[in-house]
Amino acid sequence: MIRIVTLTPFDPGDIAFLSKTLYRAFGIGTEHLGDRTLPRKAELPDGRFDAGKLLDDAPPVRAYADDKVLYLTDVELANPKGPLGEPPSWGQAAQGGDRAIVSTFRFKPRGVSEASIEVFRRRLARESIHFVGHLWDLHHCYDARCAMHPSWSPSLPDDPEFELDAFCREKSERRIRMAKT
Amino acid sequence: MRTPGKRDRAEKNEEAPAAGGTIASSADLEPGDRVVYPKQGVYRVTGLEQKDIAGQRLEFVKMTREEDGASVLVPLGKVASIGLRRVASAGDIEGVFHYLGASYDDPELDWKVRHRDNVERLIAGGVLGVAEVVKGLHSLSRLRPLPAKERELYDSSRHLLVNEISVSLGVTHVVAEDFIDFALMPPAGVKLPLKPPPTPVELKGPPWKRKKPASSEDEDDLGLSELGIDLGALEGAGMGEADESGDAEGDAEGEKASGEGSEDEGAPAAAAPAEAPRPAAKGGPAARAPAAKASSPAARTKAPAAKDAAPAPRAKAPPAARKTPAAAAPRKSAPAEKKAPAAARKPAAKKAVPARKAAPAKGKKK
Repeated sequence: MIRIVTLTPFDPGDIAFLSKTLYRAFGIGTEHLGDRTLPRKAELPDGRFDAGKLLDDAPPVRAYADDKVLYLTDVELANPKGPLGEPPSWGQAAQGGDRAIVSTFRFKPRGVSEASIEVFRRRLARESIHFVGHLWDLHHCYDARCAMHPSWSPSLPDDPEFELDAFCREKSERRIRMAKT
Repeated sequence: MRTPGKRDRAEKNEEAPAAGGTIASSADLEPGDRVVYPKQGVYRVTGLEQKDIAGQRLEFVKMTREEDGASVLVPLGKVASIGLRRVASAGDIEGVFHYLGASYDDPELDWKVRHRDNVERLIAGGVLGVAEVVKGLHSLSRLRPLPAKERELYDSSRHLLVNEISVSLGVTHVVAEDFIDFALMPPAGVKLPLKPPPTPVELKGPPWKRKKPASSEDEDDLGLSELGIDLGALEGAGMGEADESGDAEGDAEGEKASGEGSEDEGAPAAAAPAEAPRPAAKGGPAARAPAAKASSPAARTKAPAAKDAAPAPRAKAPPAARKTPAAAAPRKSAPAEKKAPAAARKPAAKKAVPARKAAPAKGKKK
């Protein structure tokens, strides 16, 4: 089961679209658990939030074995600095773990038109599949049409696909089959 | 455009690719040490364990994989040979990122070579070897989708690299993977502060990969003397044959040339089969072209004569003529034939063949 928790307000229509998409991508039930407060302890002096710390400090929710918890927020997340610089952060996940977080900060503005809302929803679905995929031990994929392709890749189109490619889908299905529950 | 240092294949085969921090003996291991088991991942040494197996008391190093807690027992004597090594240092990892960020535009296209190299790198290449596999396959994936097996290999090598980087830098797996992809495909407008990538370190590698460099004596000695075969004598004989055949052919060619110089082509055509063996007719197109041009006008004008002469050579070929040294050793005589002028080498029968075809065509046109 994938349990969605919102740390900042989200439109119910967006959450409904996301639930349907996650169910279609992984074949497991998805539900919205409700809103929780954003842990301010993870905030950095520059106003961004440390993605790893935010994930650790995120309010706990009731979940069972093999359940995955997906937190949604709109604050800017920060990654630690690497040897070649700081990669832009769209979210964070514990590889093979049980919780992930997605931020809509870098998305195109949601707007009010149907087209812009559709683009926003599709992108939210794509990033959610990406980070939930990490929870199922998926790695980044070189195929730009796959949701596991890095979110900042220059080869990613403006309105990317929100589906897994055959290899990633098979791998996630294997993992899901092997899950304890 | 900078490209990462590429290993010479011959050099690499003689000396397996090297990894820093290879553990030479079990004495180097202590409980709590983190080691990398090639193609398996990062393990933590938990201690020594003794077991009775088939009546023998054996001592093992017990290790636990950090990723999933799987335990492995390695016999003390095997520690050096399985290629265990220390987890790469932060400095090594930085070199890996500079390698990943460097441009790379010549992926190996031969899948057999690629597969062999990749497996070798994963086993004995250290963290840089794993990075080479990831980068090589990633570059290839930009040209075409990877086949299923290589897709698996790409995924597993990426998994190994992510694990080691994560352990070495003390970051989560997802962040380590972000670092890797930030180097492999930086976002638009970002210029990476790259330094020259490290050249792959050469090391002796595990024993099964070590290959004794062959000495010149070993290469030359094929064990023929044990079989009672004297290669020198054979070569001498071969050379003699070649010389003889060359002389014979030279004479024959001389005759041919003189015959060709004469107006009547029918007479040399009758003698041609005895002089020139069939391989002579297999000259390259370039060599044949002038001869064909030279013969075609004459053939056109003398088509009836050529018609009569053409079937004669094959029918009248004496069996003894095929057994001449030139005919018996076509391989040896071939170079000599190639050197001969095309016009002189051209057998009359060959010249007559286009004549047969050309004559009716000419008639039709008229």
